[in-house]
Amino acid sequence: MTDATTLRQQARTLSGSIVVGAIAVTVAVPVLVIVWSVVQPSTDVWSELWATRLPGMIRDTATLLVTVLAGTIVLGTALAWLVTAYQFPGRRLLGWLLVVPLAIPGYVLGFVWLDTLQEPLGARAVRSIWLCALVLTLTLYPYVYLFARAAFREQSQRALDVARSLGCTRLQAFWRVVLPMARPSIAGGAALVGMEVLTDVGTVRLFNVSTIADGVLRVWFGTGNRNAAAELSVLLIGVAIFLITAERLLRGRAHYTQSGTMVGLRVSRLRGWPATAATVGGWSVFTVAVALPLLRLVTWSVEARRSGQTETVAGDLGFHLMSSLRIAALATVVCLLLGMLLTIGLDRGRAGGAITARLATLGYAVPGPVVAIGVLVTLAAIDRSGWLPDGWLLVGSVIGLIYALVVRFLAVAYQGIDSSVGKVSPSMVASARTLGAGRFRVATRIELPLAAAGIIAAAVLVAIDTLKELPITLLLRPFGTETLPIWVWQATSESLWMQAAVPSLTIVGVGMVMVAVLLWALEHGAETVS
Amino acid sequence: MNRQHATRFVGGVLAGAALMAACGSDERAADDAEAIDAAPAGTVTVYTGRHYGIEPVFDEFTAATGIEVRFTTGNDPELRERLIAEGANTPADLLMAADAANIELASDAGVLTAVDSTVLTDAVPAELRSENDDWFSLSQRARVVIASTERVDDPPTSYAAVGDPRWKGNVCLRPSTHPYTQSLVASLIVAEGEERAGEIVQSWVDNDPLYINSDTDIYKAVADGECDVAIANTYYLGRLQTEDPEFPVEIVWPEQSGRGAHVNVSSAAITEHAPNPTGALQLLEWLATDGQQAFADANFEYPANADVEPNEIVAGWGEFIADLDAVRQLGEFQPAAVGLLSAAGYE
Repeated sequence: MTDATTLRQQARTLSGSIVVGAIAVTVAVPVLVIVWSVVQPSTDVWSELWATRLPGMIRDTATLLVTVLAGTIVLGTALAWLVTAYQFPGRRLLGWLLVVPLAIPGYVLGFVWLDTLQEPLGARAVRSIWLCALVLTLTLYPYVYLFARAAFREQSQRALDVARSLGCTRLQAFWRVVLPMARPSIAGGAALVGMEVLTDVGTVRLFNVSTIADGVLRVWFGTGNRNAAAELSVLLIGVAIFLITAERLLRGRAHYTQSGTMVGLRVSRLRGWPATAATVGGWSVFTVAVALPLLRLVTWSVEARRSGQTETVAGDLGFHLMSSLRIAALATVVCLLLGMLLTIGLDRGRAGGAITARLATLGYAVPGPVVAIGVLVTLAAIDRSGWLPDGWLLVGSVIGLIYALVVRFLAVAYQGIDSSVGKVSPSMVASARTLGAGRFRVATRIELPLAAAGIIAAAVLVAIDTLKELPITLLLRPFGTETLPIWVWQATSESLWMQAAVPSLTIVGVGMVMVAVLLWALEHGAETVS
Repeated sequence: MNRQHATRFVGGVLAGAALMAACGSDERAADDAEAIDAAPAGTVTVYTGRHYGIEPVFDEFTAATGIEVRFTTGNDPELRERLIAEGANTPADLLMAADAANIELASDAGVLTAVDSTVLTDAVPAELRSENDDWFSLSQRARVVIASTERVDDPPTSYAAVGDPRWKGNVCLRPSTHPYTQSLVASLIVAEGEERAGEIVQSWVDNDPLYINSDTDIYKAVADGECDVAIANTYYLGRLQTEDPEFPVEIVWPEQSGRGAHVNVSSAAITEHAPNPTGALQLLEWLATDGQQAFADANFEYPANADVEPNEIVAGWGEFIADLDAVRQLGEFQPAAVGLLSAAGYE
């Protein structure tokens, strides 16, 4: 290699680092703005909090986190294994339907079950942390399910065959070979679940669960003390960083890649009672998480239709739907592009790379309303600075809103893309580099195409997340943009469940279409890679 | 080639999404421009934390005056933060809040402007507007004791009496995250002092209340026998009685031998940097006079303007003494109320 090419490569690496650094900082600023206030801790608020609500908040957050993580990991992995490795009646359909809960916002599933169970269980029993954990598990397990399923699909039958030939039963082979190899993916899905649980404020309030995220808003809006609220947010970010670190550790130094020709897992046919058990088990999860709530929503929608409540003053269903789709599409495209740039530009091995990645994904570790205010304060400062052309304002513009959504959801895109790219065999990358291909060329010609399925999956996850998003859109939307979740909020904040049914149902419907795209892409991706 | 196929696929999805976004923007490009530039001339822009039944009232105003109103809804504290952050760049002419504390906090933050209007001072009693007239109440919402008509013969007649041990396990309350709870406790502090207010809150907590984060559901819980007595706003009963005139829950006006029932208010104020202060004043004056009936009736509330009669259903609940003295101090004592609720272990 001549000096000139080395120099050129170094220059490229440097410019790559600058791009990546710029993205990370731009996205991190709104969160850092909020966190900054911690420099002057308000100790009296802390001592008061510690003496009153803080221990309870920590207890509730920990209970919820542990329960939901355990629930989603078990449920998601078991269901993924069931539909990947076994053939039973309705398997294909179920495989798709089990992802659908992803499309149902937690607060919607929450209010439907709350209202449904109120009568049989009583209003007191229904408001429990366990029911809240169950609702969150049922809406969030698809994250684990999806990642686990993808991992199982990518596994080669050969490894399993080797295990079997060494005397393992099918179940033992699952525990010793399949599961450890899928562990990084499962951990990745679980990390997303953990973040969603930590930052949820809609569902927990329905069930009177006082988490730290709820506490941030309680302190902020109740006492107007932004500092104390910021300090609680930092506590939350701390837990999130702990979670991410745990996930990295779980991935460990172990690195599993497939080499050689891929032979997918053989599917074994279930007959007799195992087939019945599998069918009943899978369908009952679907019934509780999707079918019954949907039925309830449909009933309410019909009632709403009869009493003429199928539109708001802002417009009809089509108007709200278009608003939602437009925002979700824009946010997804931007998240995806930035996520790919980050993945390409970041050297995961270096300490600086890890920190940059943390910065870029900070927004996902903070509750939506906090991100909303962080972005608001940041954009308003730019608006006042006079840097923009005359008459331009970022607050209340589409650009401002998209920026805020990217701050919040870039992590989802980045995680998805990064974990898929991470699975591309390093030997293949190394060969390409040896043959003189630069970092960017390797990424665009080898890593990204091979990770296509994962990238599409990440895109759909971001799209679904933005489709369900409420607090950021509520505060930063331009005049004339009214999304479906805002309609739901307007109705539910007045306890008018019936009026919330039509937009809720529409969110679920659109989400189901996206889920279909997601699965189609995943299957397509699996074929392409093989 | 499979690999190329995959690349094309990703490209296709991206392009599709971009196209969808672009098509969407084309359709609404005019509106986007509107959001970035100033509002169309003459339009009044409103940030409103009150969003139930607000639109027909604005429509009526437009029909009466020809002035267009555009508005965005949100939660009171967040809209206040937005107004503060935007400063001189705000498009908002009018801030409307669903409670008194939040508008007072906006006033403290210096984002409201004092108004010199005899129309407003004649229409809105002094207790229901700020001392320097930078915000005005438009309607009163009473938070009262409610009781089952089927199971309760001698309901509590004061907020403190809800903490009587005989109601243990039979009380429904709204969680302390809600501003209604916070301002009720703030009014207790104003009337009875912090120590006594703390004792009252503690006695509620000791009664092991069922916390329900929805007044409508609180009414239903009382009707269904989940609890016998509760504290809730009156107007939700209006909505329930429209559906079922025999709804088995009654309003018990508390503190009638003393300061009166706790009232909070829907309020409005012209912003410090209103781009259209003239239009904003016109809307505010109209809401306090000609628009009062529509504004209050839309949600079964009590008009702020004493010359306007409450709606028929509302009038059916009888006359009552309202604790008007506390209204202007609710904002000041809200942080203390939140602290007190935390200390008592109120959920």
